Amino acid sequence: MAISNAAGDPAAGNEGGGERKRKRREDPPVAKWRTEGEQKTYSSKLIEAIRRVRRSSAAAAAATDHSRSRAVRVAADRALAVAARGRTRWSRAILSGRKLKLWVRARACRRKPLGNITAASASYSHTTRKSKPPALERKARVLGRLVPGCRKLPLPTLLEEASDYIAALEMQVRAMSAIAEILSAAGVAAAEPM
Amino acid sequence: MSSRRSRISEEEITELISKLQSLLPETRSRGASRASAAKVLKETCNYIKSLHREVDDLSDRLSELMATMDVDSAQAEIVRSLFRS
Repeated sequence: MAISNAAGDPAAGNEGGGERKRKRREDPPVAKWRTEGEQKTYSSKLIEAIRRVRRSSAAAAAATDHSRSRAVRVAADRALAVAARGRTRWSRAILSGRKLKLWVRARACRRKPLGNITAASASYSHTTRKSKPPALERKARVLGRLVPGCRKLPLPTLLEEASDYIAALEMQVRAMSAIAEILSAAGVAAAEPM
Repeated sequence: MSSRRSRISEEEITELISKLQSLLPETRSRGASRASAAKVLKETCNYIKSLHREVDDLSDRLSELMATMDVDSAQAEIVRSLFRS
């Protein structure tokens, strides 16, 4: 995907019809995650989600600190994925839910013939591994595991997804920090004797 | 298999790697020269892990805060502060 060229280079659009179709799916520039508007939208969505978590955990008797924290984390990630507007793989992976991914992976594992697994995987890795040094290959695989939904991607796509994901995570941290500051300040103010 | 990959060029990968590098905090503060691809990937992995940890910590903090306070009035305060700046 010649994404980085597509923005300014008119010649890139002429590389066959496939290029033009792909243009619509091109990743938004990473800079959008740094805009104030994006962060404010995300913050208000996140607050709504936190209120929902609070309401449902108040109802559930078994709500522990850890389960509440996990619920907040999940809500924050989902809100982040929604903010990406479905244009990136990592966001779509988060929204399609982790349960689905586990189920798909379990099915794929069961389909593999158990007997020839070592021979098959050895020959598989020989044919598909390009002239990439193994150190790079290993690190790319680790990266693929860290970014949601990006395990089996080729390197260029993985790098693009990682760039967008990092920018999004930074915004998430900024927004959540700001909310935490305001909440704790409001808490202090409320606790003061009137 | 020839070294030329279909539709993917070395330059593209190098470009993407340097774009990734520009997002990493060390590069942003020091304006470091181009590092090796392996180093950039490693730094990227570490950075994402640390961002995940920060988000987890913030989730802990937020869930604590929301448990002890009236979120409705706090929400009004948040909305005000967010739109004031």
